[in-house]
Amino acid sequence: MPFKIVNKQVLDEGVKRIDILAPNIARKIRPGQFVSVCPEENDEHIPLTVTSSDPERGHISLIFPELGQTTRKLGNLPINESVFSILGPLGLPATIQKKGAVVCIANGMGIAQVLPICRAFKDQGNRVIGIIGAKTKKALILEPQMRLACHALLIATNDGSFERRGLATDILEDFLGQNKVDLVYAIGAVDMMRKVCAMTAARGIETLVRLNPVMVDCMGMCGSCRVKVGGEMVLACVEGPEFDGHKVDFNDLEIRMNAYEEPQEWGNRRSKPKPPRSEPKTLAKFLSGIRKS
Amino acid sequence: MKACPLGIDIPRFIRFLREGDVINAYAKISEQNSLSSICGRICSAPCEKACILKEEGAPPIGIRALERYATDFGCSKIAKRRPEPLGRKKVAVVGSGPAGLAAATELAQRGYPVTVFESFDKPGGILRYGIPEFRIPRQVLDAEINRIKALGVKMEMNFLVGHTATLEELRRQDFAAIVLATGAGVPKFRDLPGANLGGVYYGEEFLMRVNRARKTLFSRKLDKLPLGMRVAVIGSGNTALDCARCAVRLGREVTLIFRRTEEDMRVRQDESIYAKEEGVHFEPLVSPVEILADANHFVGGIKCRRMDFADADGSGQWKIMPVPGSEFVIDADTVVIATGHKPNSLVNREIADLAVNEDGTIKVEDRTGRTSIPGVFAAGNVRTNAGPVVEAIASGKQVAQEVDDYLK
Repeated sequence: MPFKIVNKQVLDEGVKRIDILAPNIARKIRPGQFVSVCPEENDEHIPLTVTSSDPERGHISLIFPELGQTTRKLGNLPINESVFSILGPLGLPATIQKKGAVVCIANGMGIAQVLPICRAFKDQGNRVIGIIGAKTKKALILEPQMRLACHALLIATNDGSFERRGLATDILEDFLGQNKVDLVYAIGAVDMMRKVCAMTAARGIETLVRLNPVMVDCMGMCGSCRVKVGGEMVLACVEGPEFDGHKVDFNDLEIRMNAYEEPQEWGNRRSKPKPPRSEPKTLAKFLSGIRKS
Repeated sequence: MKACPLGIDIPRFIRFLREGDVINAYAKISEQNSLSSICGRICSAPCEKACILKEEGAPPIGIRALERYATDFGCSKIAKRRPEPLGRKKVAVVGSGPAGLAAATELAQRGYPVTVFESFDKPGGILRYGIPEFRIPRQVLDAEINRIKALGVKMEMNFLVGHTATLEELRRQDFAAIVLATGAGVPKFRDLPGANLGGVYYGEEFLMRVNRARKTLFSRKLDKLPLGMRVAVIGSGNTALDCARCAVRLGREVTLIFRRTEEDMRVRQDESIYAKEEGVHFEPLVSPVEILADANHFVGGIKCRRMDFADADGSGQWKIMPVPGSEFVIDADTVVIATGHKPNSLVNREIADLAVNEDGTIKVEDRTGRTSIPGVFAAGNVRTNAGPVVEAIASGKQVAQEVDDYLK
């Protein structure tokens, strides 16, 4: 099955969106599920959340930042080229119910993941309030799409270049103080999710979070995406990636997320940089060295 | 000959080999075993344990090595394509591990059009992703799979049954029988303190990352696998030894920790001898107590306890018991835990009516392999929870027979 790239868009520096022809997946995918992508043969598989899908044309679109070598390779594939393998849909779909007022909060790349969930909540007849944050105005992705998907959209940027200056969690705190909220859905960095959960736990609001741990095969066979939820070890790729935010052990999650960041002194045995030579080596010197010995 | 789970006519094929007739020897083996080049390499060889030479005090005949020779030299390199059979009922096999491939081959030889569904990007299952390349060279595996494909077996990659399409949808595509051979590859989580630290891997994850690593002419690159210089592997099975030998090949100092004696290890003796020769340091009768953390939440060492045989309650039964006060620390910065696995649950949980045992294996009618849904069969380790490759192949063959009976 060839997975042809039909469209490609650069959203920001290092953030790309690609549309891929995958009719089997586009037919079955539901909001919140992800796919496992491998751009080339014998390469690493990475989990990516599907932002939107078109079952009639058989397209799925993926948004990803170019951070590692695999995403960089994926981003460099041109239109009409094929991706080697895509497996999906994986994970459990998001639990979308009619709740009333739903706040969807995301920052950075989490916005790409929260978009299909916002749409699904809106389709169910909820009042959806989106709160998104980014570093700068330029790094804020999918803002027009989010405006369409939510009833109200609140934006925060770290440097104040757009709308409110600050963090997305600051807006949430103000918002929770003034309005009645039935459900909070948070996607983003571990710190942000921890803050959100602390806030909602104090007010007794139901909170769902989506975790993004490291995955290898995405089918529950490796155990690298193990997280502690409610005192039990579960696999995020099989039981999640959506969990009850009040049960997740965030300290444990943080250790797991950092577990693949290589310490400086390890590495896959990188060769040591050679000490700079004090004087240039010339043929005459080389020969004289031989003569001496 | 009775010891072989596949029922290969061992004396016959050895006689052919003695006459120098390699082609007929291979023909004899392949009557019963469709994956003989793989069995010749990694079989646990129950036949050698039952060899009658042992009673006479001599070492047994190296049947496994003979099988490997007969297959490597006896089979033709170019596979002949068989025309696709028409008009018979279609069979789907879920999973392309040893059991799935054996069932698919057997059914194709009986004239059924078979489709194998595999969720990874290449067929082979544990043979490709679980067993390292130095035990099964990928060329051998590819040749074996090409031979199976030439029988008319279709292979559908990137297809996770239950997610990409449900079992019901497969039924609607006219598959009269479905064989579930999804295997057992989920690590059993141990409640060892510190098992969540950075630098702690489960054996399956470690092997999968190493086996999927990209190999080029000049560099062997591992993607995102922080691996310290001193690796400790916990476990004494085949997975543990494979992990240890892989790590040695990556240039690490490896210590193998297990709580049995060396004689009790669940591997063939020659495998453990190879491992020792390669430089794996064995620590028998040691049980890990806790994985110690360093400042960055990575592994700093393992606290261990010595074990020894003791007669605890005076009943005369000598059990392995911890020696009190014998705790010591092994210096390590990466730990690989390879102590057992359980069946894959991802396919089973998507099928609502399927009855599952408490330990995660699929409930089957005894010996037949029929599950609680008519027309759905189970084969391999998803039925038995654990077992050597030969038994998985034997179970795949036996289920093929059942499917044949069911469809007639």
